[in-house]
Amino acid sequence: MLDWFRTLASRVRAWGSAAQIDREFEQELESHLELLTEENVRRGMALEEARRAARVRLGGITQLKETNRELRGLPLAETLVQDARYALRVLRKNPGFTAVAVLTLALGIGANTAIFSVVEAVLLRPLPYPHAEQLFFVFQQRERDARVQTGWSYLNFLDLREQSHVFSEMGSNGNHELTLTGRGDPEVVSVADVTPEIFSLMGAKPMTGRLFLPADAKPGAPAVVILSESLWRGLFRSDPQILGSSINLDRRPFTVVGILPQSFRFSARTRSKQLWIPVTQDPLFAQWIPNRGGHWLAVVGRLKPGVTTAEAQAELDTINQRLAREFPGENSGWVIRMTPLGELVVGDVRPTLVMLWGAVGVILLIACANIASLLLARATTRAREVAVRSTLGAGRSRIVRQLLSESLVLGLLGGAAGTALAYWGVHTLGSLLAQNLPQVNPIRVDAAVLGFALALSAVAGSAFGLAPAFFAARLGFAAGLREGSPRAGESRASRRARGVLAAVETALAMALLVAAGLLLRSYSRMSAVSSGFTPENVVKANFSLYSARYSGPQEWLNFTNELLGRLHAEPGLQESALVVPTPIADTSINVVFDIVGFPALAAGSSRTADYAAVSPEYFQMLGIHLLAGREFDDGDVMSAPRVTLISQALARAYFPHEDPLGKQLRFAFGADSDAPRIIAGIVGDVRDVSPGVEPGPMVYVPFAQSPFPGSDILVRSSLDVSAVIAAIRRDVAQMDPDLAVGDVAQLSGAIQSSLAPPRFRTLLLVLFAALALLLAASGIFGVISYSVSRRTQEIGIRVALGASRATILRMVMRETLGLTLSGVALGVPCALLAARLVRHMLYGITTSDPATLSAAVLTLVASAVLAGYVPVRRAMRVDPLVALRHE
Amino acid sequence: MAGDKPEILQGTLDLMVLKTLSVMGPLHGYGIARRIEQISEELAINQGTIYASLARLTLKGWIDAEWGTSENNRKAKFYYVTKAGHKQMKAEARNWERISRIIGRVLSLAERG
Repeated sequence: MLDWFRTLASRVRAWGSAAQIDREFEQELESHLELLTEENVRRGMALEEARRAARVRLGGITQLKETNRELRGLPLAETLVQDARYALRVLRKNPGFTAVAVLTLALGIGANTAIFSVVEAVLLRPLPYPHAEQLFFVFQQRERDARVQTGWSYLNFLDLREQSHVFSEMGSNGNHELTLTGRGDPEVVSVADVTPEIFSLMGAKPMTGRLFLPADAKPGAPAVVILSESLWRGLFRSDPQILGSSINLDRRPFTVVGILPQSFRFSARTRSKQLWIPVTQDPLFAQWIPNRGGHWLAVVGRLKPGVTTAEAQAELDTINQRLAREFPGENSGWVIRMTPLGELVVGDVRPTLVMLWGAVGVILLIACANIASLLLARATTRAREVAVRSTLGAGRSRIVRQLLSESLVLGLLGGAAGTALAYWGVHTLGSLLAQNLPQVNPIRVDAAVLGFALALSAVAGSAFGLAPAFFAARLGFAAGLREGSPRAGESRASRRARGVLAAVETALAMALLVAAGLLLRSYSRMSAVSSGFTPENVVKANFSLYSARYSGPQEWLNFTNELLGRLHAEPGLQESALVVPTPIADTSINVVFDIVGFPALAAGSSRTADYAAVSPEYFQMLGIHLLAGREFDDGDVMSAPRVTLISQALARAYFPHEDPLGKQLRFAFGADSDAPRIIAGIVGDVRDVSPGVEPGPMVYVPFAQSPFPGSDILVRSSLDVSAVIAAIRRDVAQMDPDLAVGDVAQLSGAIQSSLAPPRFRTLLLVLFAALALLLAASGIFGVISYSVSRRTQEIGIRVALGASRATILRMVMRETLGLTLSGVALGVPCALLAARLVRHMLYGITTSDPATLSAAVLTLVASAVLAGYVPVRRAMRVDPLVALRHE
Repeated sequence: MAGDKPEILQGTLDLMVLKTLSVMGPLHGYGIARRIEQISEELAINQGTIYASLARLTLKGWIDAEWGTSENNRKAKFYYVTKAGHKQMKAEARNWERISRIIGRVLSLAERG
């Protein structure tokens, strides 16, 4: 071994300095010639003649140099090229086999490469910020409710930044929407309220102009805005004069100071109509700046190098205690936590991606098993060739290497085709991926992905090449010659190996089928479930009132009352209502509440409910049933006693033994927070988070008692959607031409898109399971078909001896089903394991759902029978005369 | 891999070169060629062919070379046998004896038959 390394090392070295070695060799020959010439002169030759004779005795210099170069060259590389060339020739001579193998492999490697490009972009590649690993999301959390990560008030954030020493920089941003006017029609735009440091923290560079300076956040500073490249190109038509010009946001003028390029993305939230303003300038939210109790700014910090997260957390705890001591009203009962920014961005897509990655891994295994089986079958027919070559002097390692390089070439061909497939797949799935994945890093087939595909092809190629090479080596090469016939039987071991491979493929396919089946059934249950309200024919739209004109609750109510009045008067619009927030379509608002007269709960537990402010028509128009008491009516206004409606789930959870009607709740949310509210009625449960999430406790308050500066409008109408939207826009514009109507959608469509993540993963997993099934079926087809052709003679004899077609059918089918059923037996534990792995994604069924399991088994058996059909027909048509003459 | 089993030398020439070097000590190409010609008397070799032998032996690590000065005061490359080369030579010699014994037996068999 050592010798071999030394040889290789010296050859590689020689390769590196070839020119110098050539020169030295020339010199060596030169001195040899001199010595020969001198010897000849000593013998009495004339100098000229002596020189010529010397040259003759030494031989041709050029030829010697050539030989020397060849000898110290890299014979390993040369034989590799030779092997590869031979492999290509063999593959070209068997186009059928090559096509099937390359296609199989292309599917396996293509699926893997495509999913890897997503995994790489979302899970593996660091976020596109300098030293992204130092970036942390710092959030506040109620001690009692560890599920929800909330943001910061501006004042709390300022204290945090000032008191913290473990972070080199901290910045914050809060997202909402404002109305942009002064450029054609009013337009709703996404606004990020930021503190100036956020850009240097994230390493952002402006496309033109400048980013924010600390001075921009000072009170009294002129209002400035940074546009996103897409907003500038779209709404502002790439206006070259944009810098220094003025735009209005909620009627407040802002000067454009810069444009951020498309490539800058802050988490998944960066929208197409995005712009950034200093938080202190916000026309809507700036009024909250003096309020320490709010939780609306997301804070990002860059940890100083060398500081551990434990040290940072310890400091955050200290700051938290100080804040709680100084401002107990706002900060007691809260804790500060931090999490890597990457975690926040990746969030809950990790399990989905890991699942899909596993699925394509299984597909590749099946593909490899398939090709290994094909190669084994071929190895048998090629036994003679191998035997001849080994008799002619090819060493065992040389032959194994030849076989391996054949499968490697196959692997690389498959890899190339697979990469093309992946490229196409990522391209085609692009929009689907974009909707369902955080898009901080672009998803594409790049160098890392190509490297992965190459490594995968090489590993796969040697994996499925090992089996036949192993058998070829074990067979004892002479065997092929001795048996004499080119159709010499396949060895028992190799036949058994092919059977095992087919069974394993079936088992793996079954695991994927069951997982896909479970997700499919979950999804169909999820989408069939009643959300507790009827979204059909309902259009939703959103408006938000700017503070310059709508300064307080009374102005907000004046506007909404007039709007509802106008909408009710529109012909064709059946019903209209206000709601904040719209169930499923909007993010739910969760509040902690107390029951007046009930003892406070122990620390660590709390009463929470989802919250909605609605106008009286709401329940009627969405078909939410009243179960007890009364609904809201026009008398529930500011001056009247505070009332609330509770959902059935809340009544069950918190009033199990008594009548909730007349009891009072108190919750710290909305314009009239902390006022006790009398429970006036109980309404049916509504799924307000997602169709797949069981309805939780819910409270409703009259919009007229807890108004917002803006709301969703729901309108039920049998008119065309565009007509409904036009009517809403017209009514709003008549009241205030500077007010934009945004977020327009059909409610049923919004519910559908809330099901996008489960639909996405279900769709892909079903696709992969189908692929696995196809490959497994082709594996079974290969084994049976080969077995029939091997047994043609035997079948011929049987037919000649009087076996009926039915007998032959039974014989072949028995083999097919035997193979499939042993695969199924092997597959049941695999399937149960796969089901356990996806159990968090299931809805309404158990992991051992018998219907799914039996459907998977039936599908497998059916496709096996189908796969066996062609060889069976061939077996039944065997003509005994032809078969017997065959050899 | 090459070291796993004893290999027969590329030709008898390799063995002759190795043997010459082990007996004579460091020699340059010309010296080796002359020596082999002297010993084998009639065997007039094309002197260049010994360079292929030298390259093969060097690659296998059995001989190595250093630049030195020849008797006519020219720069020349002097070859010498390495430790691995000595070991190999013993094995080769055994192998050679075995083969010549077998061939001898076969030939005598042929004579008798």
